[in-house]
Amino acid sequence: MINLEGVTKRYNKQSTALEDIHLNVEPGEFVSIVGQSGSGKTTLVKLIIAEERATSGKVSIGDWDITRIPYRHVPLLRRQIGVIFQDFKLLDKKTIYENVAFALQVSGESGARIRTVIPRLLEIVGLPHKKNSYPHELSGGEQQRVAIARALVHRPKILVADEPTGNLDSINTQEIIEILKKINEFGTTVVLVTHNREVVNQMKRRVVTLDKGRLISDVKEGKYRL
Amino acid sequence: MRSLFRAIKFAFQDIFRNFSLSLMTVLILVLMLLSVNTLVVIKFFTSQATQSIKDQIDVSIFFAHTATDEEIAEVQSFIKSFPEVSNVQYLSKEQVLEKFKEQYSDNENIIASLEELDENPLGSTMIVKTRNPGDYNKLIEALSVPEYEDIVVAKTFVDTELAIERINNITTQVERFSVILTGLFGVIAFLIIFNTIRVAIFTQRVEITIKKLVGATNWFIRSPYIIESFIFTAISVAITYFLMRFAAGLIDPYVAVVFKKDWLLTNYISSNIMMLVGSQFVVVLLLTIFSSFLAMRRHLKA
Ligand SMILES: Nc1ncnc2c1ncn2[C@@H]1O[C@H](COP(=O)(O)OP(=O)(O)OP(=O)(O)O)[C@@H](O)[C@H]1O
Ligand SMILES: [Mg+2]
Repeated sequence: MINLEGVTKRYNKQSTALEDIHLNVEPGEFVSIVGQSGSGKTTLVKLIIAEERATSGKVSIGDWDITRIPYRHVPLLRRQIGVIFQDFKLLDKKTIYENVAFALQVSGESGARIRTVIPRLLEIVGLPHKKNSYPHELSGGEQQRVAIARALVHRPKILVADEPTGNLDSINTQEIIEILKKINEFGTTVVLVTHNREVVNQMKRRVVTLDKGRLISDVKEGKYRL
Repeated sequence: MRSLFRAIKFAFQDIFRNFSLSLMTVLILVLMLLSVNTLVVIKFFTSQATQSIKDQIDVSIFFAHTATDEEIAEVQSFIKSFPEVSNVQYLSKEQVLEKFKEQYSDNENIIASLEELDENPLGSTMIVKTRNPGDYNKLIEALSVPEYEDIVVAKTFVDTELAIERINNITTQVERFSVILTGLFGVIAFLIIFNTIRVAIFTQRVEITIKKLVGATNWFIRSPYIIESFIFTAISVAITYFLMRFAAGLIDPYVAVVFKKDWLLTNYISSNIMMLVGSQFVVVLLLTIFSSFLAMRRHLKA
């Protein structure tokens, strides 16, 4: 599903964020990526959604080689991969409903389809009553749930989450992780970047550890070890 | 079609949800347009002023008392053959006398002495206007030939020569100055528009990156801004136009005193509405769109 072959990412002469990474994620897997600050986790996410280009090596999604993906194809890729971030990245001048709808409008979906899909998604993340609120009127956990709903609008085969619980307390963290698990159970491949020891340990799923841009361990049923 | 409709909807949402920024943008555009239009009005007034001075200048050709009608007719057709000549007015001996009497009606001595003569002592006169003050010299020279020596006794041109030269000087100076000023205003206007749009786009930079991250194409992101540019431009040009009309209405009574013409500025604005409103709309629209493209380019990468 996601395949990196000998990928190196160098931002400039001083900073090599990733070095010779080999990583293959199978369809339906739940992979946690851990590592200290600056170890290259976010860079890995950015390569997967084509926000950055690999300096060398090959990145592919399914059988789509995106290593040198042309700029005009990037939007197509982004509509096939759901992404959530630590800082939610919601549009603060749009309501919750509009935020989720936006992700469908970008691909020219009909208004009728949007009106049936969005309420269902808000139902799944438990926020149907907040649809006319603005992001700043919601708690962090609620905002992240909106972001998850938005990430799911295109029924993506892959969901990438870069420290989605980094700004949340433990109760909200649990809630978000439960939602991610459920999404995974329905067949979506999930890549979760996290700092949270508890989350990783309770998951009992595959754990990939990065250190200074190198992949130093990859365990099928791993624990958080740093 | 659907995406155009959405772009229009997003544009209006953007304008109303960032209302103070929208207001600021329109305000700055209006101020900029007002200063450009002030320049247009100043140019209009200077051209009116020089024109009205030019209109007052003419050459009077005084015919000898003895000149026959045939001779006068010949000179007249000769003068009319010049393409530079715009108007020829002929005053017969009797009309000249009439005018003379009118002019000196309160001077009894002159009137009395005129009555005493049984023959009209005055010759007929021709008042000639040319399109440009500079053309008078040519006309005078053409008339200063031996054949006309006995017919034409005097030409008043010499007295006004200096004034004409001075006006020509002033006109070219004013024109040169206004070219420089127009260029300067153009640069200032461009910088103001560019900066205003850049600020507006800069406040949206986070939005733009988020939109890209959820799969929006560059055009999907840009199109609402293009429509906003259109709306802002239309509103500012309209406001400026109505302010100009209003100001013209206030100024015109004073203008009428100077130029002896009613509603000069108002008429100028309404008869040049297409030129003023149309060209400014197009220029400002292109500038705002160009600026927004330039300002957005950086945020649209990646
Ligand atoms: N745009 C950039 N330009 C230059 N260097 C960068 C850039 N982005 C990241 N880096 C460098 O690349 C390295 C990896 O950064 P990255 O953001 O991938 O780390 P991370 O594992 O996500 O860290 P954190 O846990 O703090 O989020 C760091 O040394 C960072 O300084
Ligand atoms: Mg990071």
